[in-house]
Amino acid sequence: MSSSSCDVVVEMRNIVKKFPGVVANDNVSLKICRGEVLAILGENGAGKTTLMNILYGLYLPDEGSIYINGKRVIHASPKDAIKNGVGMVHQHFTLVDDLTVAENIVLGAEDFKVYYNPGKLIEKIREFMKDIGLYVEPSKKAYELSAGEKQKVEILKALYRRISVLILDEPTSVLSPIEVNELFKTIRRLKEKGISIVFISHKLDEVLEIADRIVVMRAGKIVGELARKDANVRLLASMMIGASGLSSIEEKFEKNTSTGRKLLEVIDLWVKGDRGEDAVKGVRLSVREGEIVGVAGVAGSGQKELAEAIYGLRPVKRGRIMFNEVEITGLPTVERIKLGISYIPEERVRYGVSLELPIYENIYLEKIHSEKSKRGLLEALGVSPLKKRVMLEYAQHVVNKFGVKTPSLTTVAGKLSGGNIQRLIVGRELERGPKLVIASEPTAGLDIAATNFVRRTLVDMSRRGVGVLLISSDLQEVLSLSHKVVVLCNGEVMGVVIPGEASIEDIGLMMTCSKKMSIEEVEKIWAM
Amino acid sequence: MGYVIRIKPKPIQPFVFVLAPLASFALAFLVGGALMLWAGVDPISGYSAFLQGSLTTFPGLMQTLIQATLFMLMGTGIAISNRAGVLNVGAEGQYIIGAILATYIAISYQQVLSPQLTLLLAMLAAMLGGALWAMIAGVLKGFMNVNEVVTTVILNWLAYRILQWIIRGPLRLPGPQLYPMSPPIAITLPVLEPSSGLNAGLIIALALAIFSYYLLFYTKAGFEIRVTGSNPELAKYAGFNVSKVIVLSMAYSGALAGIAGGVEVLGNLHYLFEGISIGLGYTSIIVSLVARDHPLGVIAASIMFGTIYSGSSFLQTATHLTYTFSKALEGLIYLFVLVTTLFAFYEIKLVKVK
Repeated sequence: MSSSSCDVVVEMRNIVKKFPGVVANDNVSLKICRGEVLAILGENGAGKTTLMNILYGLYLPDEGSIYINGKRVIHASPKDAIKNGVGMVHQHFTLVDDLTVAENIVLGAEDFKVYYNPGKLIEKIREFMKDIGLYVEPSKKAYELSAGEKQKVEILKALYRRISVLILDEPTSVLSPIEVNELFKTIRRLKEKGISIVFISHKLDEVLEIADRIVVMRAGKIVGELARKDANVRLLASMMIGASGLSSIEEKFEKNTSTGRKLLEVIDLWVKGDRGEDAVKGVRLSVREGEIVGVAGVAGSGQKELAEAIYGLRPVKRGRIMFNEVEITGLPTVERIKLGISYIPEERVRYGVSLELPIYENIYLEKIHSEKSKRGLLEALGVSPLKKRVMLEYAQHVVNKFGVKTPSLTTVAGKLSGGNIQRLIVGRELERGPKLVIASEPTAGLDIAATNFVRRTLVDMSRRGVGVLLISSDLQEVLSLSHKVVVLCNGEVMGVVIPGEASIEDIGLMMTCSKKMSIEEVEKIWAM
Repeated sequence: MGYVIRIKPKPIQPFVFVLAPLASFALAFLVGGALMLWAGVDPISGYSAFLQGSLTTFPGLMQTLIQATLFMLMGTGIAISNRAGVLNVGAEGQYIIGAILATYIAISYQQVLSPQLTLLLAMLAAMLGGALWAMIAGVLKGFMNVNEVVTTVILNWLAYRILQWIIRGPLRLPGPQLYPMSPPIAITLPVLEPSSGLNAGLIIALALAIFSYYLLFYTKAGFEIRVTGSNPELAKYAGFNVSKVIVLSMAYSGALAGIAGGVEVLGNLHYLFEGISIGLGYTSIIVSLVARDHPLGVIAASIMFGTIYSGSSFLQTATHLTYTFSKALEGLIYLFVLVTTLFAFYEIKLVKVK
C-alpha cells in the first residue's frame, strides 16, 4: 500500500514544531490511510511522539496544517481531536485507579451522567466490549489490572469515543512478550474494522511484524517511507540511526568469567503486593561478585515486589536478605544505599525523578548520604550545607558519560524526554559506585544506541566485580547478559537456568507456570 | 483560520514579581473606589487615608511593619511545610498556642526572674508550643497518612477554645472587665522605635526568613524537604525518611507560627484576649502562595500584605466607613492579588492558528 493511492483519512502538511533549543518537527508531512497500520519508527527524540501529540491536540504546531477527510481542522486540545475521530494511547496510562474499568471507559465521554446505575453501566460496557472483540472485566478496579489490561482499557476508552484513527505511543514498552502478542491481535482486529492505527516505536522487529507501511523519522525529519514488503532490519536500522551508527546494532557481549564470593543472598523470601496478596512466594536466589543474575518472567510475576524488598522499599513478610553475609532484611533503604546497593526502578517517572527539581539535584540524589561533613553538629541537625559546586561537577560528569541531552544542568527534569530521563536514572544509579545493582527494565524505552550502552556498562561493571540483578521482560536481554537466569511465575521460582543450556521453549513453559524444576536441579545450578 | 485559548505555566521574569502585585493593587483600588462612591465616600480621600495608614506617614509605615512581622513569621513557616508537601492550614492555632504559652510564662515568672530571662523563656515556650501543636498534625500525616488540612483546621478550633477557656479561667484578670482578658504582661521585647512600638520581632522574622531560605536551598535538610514535597515516592526510594521530613517540617512551620504568637503578646499587646485570633494564620497561607513558597519572596509578600492590612484598618478611623467595609476592601485586594498571581505565573493567551 502506498500513501498516494489510498483512502487518506488524515493528512498533516508541513508541520514545524520548535522547543527551546530543538526543532522537534522540521517541516514534516504525513498521510494516514484508512484501515492501515502505519508505523512511525525512530530513535528517542526523533520527533515521533511530538508529531502525534500535535495530531492529538496536545501541542499546537508552530507552522503547518492538519486535514481530516480532506477538511482543514485545528486541534487545540485532545477534545477537538477526539471529536474528529483521532484517539491516542500514551506510554504512561491515565486511568483513575479507584474507578472500575467501565467507569474509566465512559469517564469524560458525552453520555456520562452524575447519577447512573453502576450495574447497568457495566452491562452496557460488557456489550460494547463484545462488539469490539476486546475484553477486560468491566467491574474490576483499574488498580487491579496488569499493564497489558490497562492498555486494553485505554484502547477501549478511545474506541468508545468512536474514533477512526488510533495512535499508540510505544505501546509495547510496558508489556511482556505474551501481552505484546495480544496487542498485535487487537491491532489486527481493529484494522479489519477499518480503523487506522499509528504505531510509534523504535523496535524494528515489532514494526516489521505489525506495520503495513513504515515511516522513519530522524532528528525531526521524515527520512524514509516504505511498504513492509520493501523493508528489512538492516535497511530500517540504517535509516533510523544513520549509516554511521550501523555497527552498534546487535552488539554481542562477552560475559565476565571470574565471579567472586556471594554478595546478595535471598532466602525463602515472602513479600506482599499492593493488594495484600502474596506477590513473592519463597524466592531463593543469590548474586556473586561480578555475576549478572537475570530474573525472567511475565510482567507482574512478582519482579517489582522482589526488587523493592531487596532495596528496603517494601516490608518482608518472611525470609531473609543477606548482603556480604550480613543480614539486611530489616534495614531502612538509606543503610542499603550506604552499603552500596543501587536500584534502577521500573516506573521511572513515578519513582525515579522529581520533575520539578533541576537535573543536577536529581542526579546527585542518593550521593547526599555519602557526604561526610566535618561539622558534626550541623550534620546531626541535618543542616550541613550542600556543596553545590561538587553537585554540579558530578552531575556534569554523569550527563556527559551517559549522554543525557539537556539544555543545562539547572533545567528541571520535567523538560527531558522519556529516554533522557531513563539515561539520567541509569547514570545516577550506575555511577555512584555500587557493589550491587538491581536493574529493573533498564533498557525499556531506550533506543538501540542507548540500549547497547546500558548493557555494555552493566557488563563492564560486572567485570569490575559488581553484582547485577537484572530484571527484564525482554527475554533476549536477560539471556544474552546473564550468567544465570531465575524464572519467576506468579511469585514463585519455577527454575534457574544457564543461558544457552536451556531451550527457549523450556523457559517459556516455566514463565507460564507450566513447568517447574526440581529442588535438586535448582540447587545444582546455584552451586555452580 | 481560528483562535484558541492556551494556558500553561511559564518561567517567571523577576519584574513580574513586582509588576503583578502592583497591577493587582490598581485593579482592587478601582473596584474598591467604586464601592466607596456607592458608600458615599470620596475614593480619593478614602485612598489617601489608606496610604496614610500604611505607607506615606511614619506611624502608618510602622504599623505596616508590625503587621508584616506576623505575616513574615507564619508565611515563612507555611512555605517550608508546603515545600515538604504538607499544607499547614493550622498556623492560626499554632499562633494562638504560642501566644497562650508566652503569656503564661511571662505572667508566672515576670516577678521572679530577670526580664531578659523571662522573655527568653516565654519566646522559647511559644516556639515549642507552636511546634508541638503542629507536630500533632505532622505525626498523624507522617505515620498514619491522615489528611493534614482536616487535622490542622480541627486543631485551630481546639486552640481557640483553649484560649477562650484560659482567659476566663487560669489566666483571668480578676475584677470586672469589658471583655475577658489576662493580667498585663510587664516585660516587653526590645523596642526598635518607641512611638509605634515596633519591636525586635521584625528582626527575628527577617532573620528566620533568611535562615529558612538558606535551610531550604543550601542544606541537606532543605534538599530532603524539596525532594519529599515534589515526589514522596522518589524520597523513599532515595532513602530519605519521609515521615521524619513531614513531622519535622510541620514542627518547623509550627515553631514559626508559635513565635509569631509570642511576638504579638510580648511585643505588641502585652496581654492576652480572644481578639488575638483574627485569621492572620489563614491570610499567611495566601502570603506564602503569592511568594510561591520562597522564603525571600515571603519577606516582600508580607510587607505587601502588612500594607493592605494596616491601610484598610486605618480607613475606618479616617473616614466614616465601617469596620466591615474596610474588611471587605481588604478581602477584595487579597482576591485580586490571587487572581493576578495566576495570570502572572501562567501563560494565558489567545492564539491565532493559521
